[in-house]
Amino acid sequence: MSTKSVLGEVREVQLAIQLIHLGARLQFLESEVGLSRERLIRLYKEIKGVSPPKGLLPFSTDWYMTWLANIHSSMFYNMYQFMKTHSDEEKVWVLIKSYKLYLQQIEAQESEPILDFTRACTMVRFFDSDMLQLSTCRRCAGQFVAHAHDHKSGYVCVLCRPPSRAGKARGSKRAAGGEISVPGMESIGLAVESALDGGGLH
Amino acid sequence: MNVANGEISQEIGDINLAYMLLAQKLVKQDRVAAMFRLGVSRELADMLASMSLAQILKLAASNFLLCSFRLDEHASMSAVVGEGKDTMLQQAHMSILMSARSLQGRKEAATV
Repeated sequence: MSTKSVLGEVREVQLAIQLIHLGARLQFLESEVGLSRERLIRLYKEIKGVSPPKGLLPFSTDWYMTWLANIHSSMFYNMYQFMKTHSDEEKVWVLIKSYKLYLQQIEAQESEPILDFTRACTMVRFFDSDMLQLSTCRRCAGQFVAHAHDHKSGYVCVLCRPPSRAGKARGSKRAAGGEISVPGMESIGLAVESALDGGGLH
Repeated sequence: MNVANGEISQEIGDINLAYMLLAQKLVKQDRVAAMFRLGVSRELADMLASMSLAQILKLAASNFLLCSFRLDEHASMSAVVGEGKDTMLQQAHMSILMSARSLQGRKEAATV
């Protein structure tokens, strides 16, 4: 670490900039970029204009199982896996690249990204530590994010067999014309989620 | 009859050319992303990138479509198209299925 080359340091800074732009949290930056915490915080403030958020990273695999989150997570992880197999870049760059591809895809569909960068990184870690797996849908043969050690046979994905209230909240929002915001299932889910996240603040 | 056939060949040629040019542009911009979008192997991607315009023109002027259905099974095709899905979900489903496809120009054994 002490014999760092100037070019190497430039590369680290560039990496940190990319990650901060995508919305990486400080904890992730610290583990992936070989810069001091102080420099990372300064960089973060300079780019985002605010101090990095405190609090724990998401730690539950359950989030990835909820309906829309599972669709987005599966979309991202499939891309990540493709990139990992076929690109000769370092792992963290593969992560950046596949996350950008995910954002492009979402943009092309004119919808909102549901999976933020932190969640994406955490998911990759969950896969690496064997807490999540890809299960193959019996109907469409697509691969979807699932809890590890779930029985694989007879699995049907959330797109082939959506839960009965899936998309209902979105539907009612659309019916309201977007002018009156109807507190649907999703926003309730989000509130619970952020309450959970907040719980880890101390 | 002959006129109609000629027109069809012309249309196929046009699509081939547009397809080849787009494919080459994608590969030149970002090889891995292009491999993902096109569903082709690295070897094929490299070849696309290195083709000259003359070579592309020659290949495009064919009676056969160079691009083929990538949802090549009835099951996956109907899973994506079948229901009255909204566009976003359909696109998401497509993206998931496409990513898992084996790449053209690569032996099946390579993708376990």
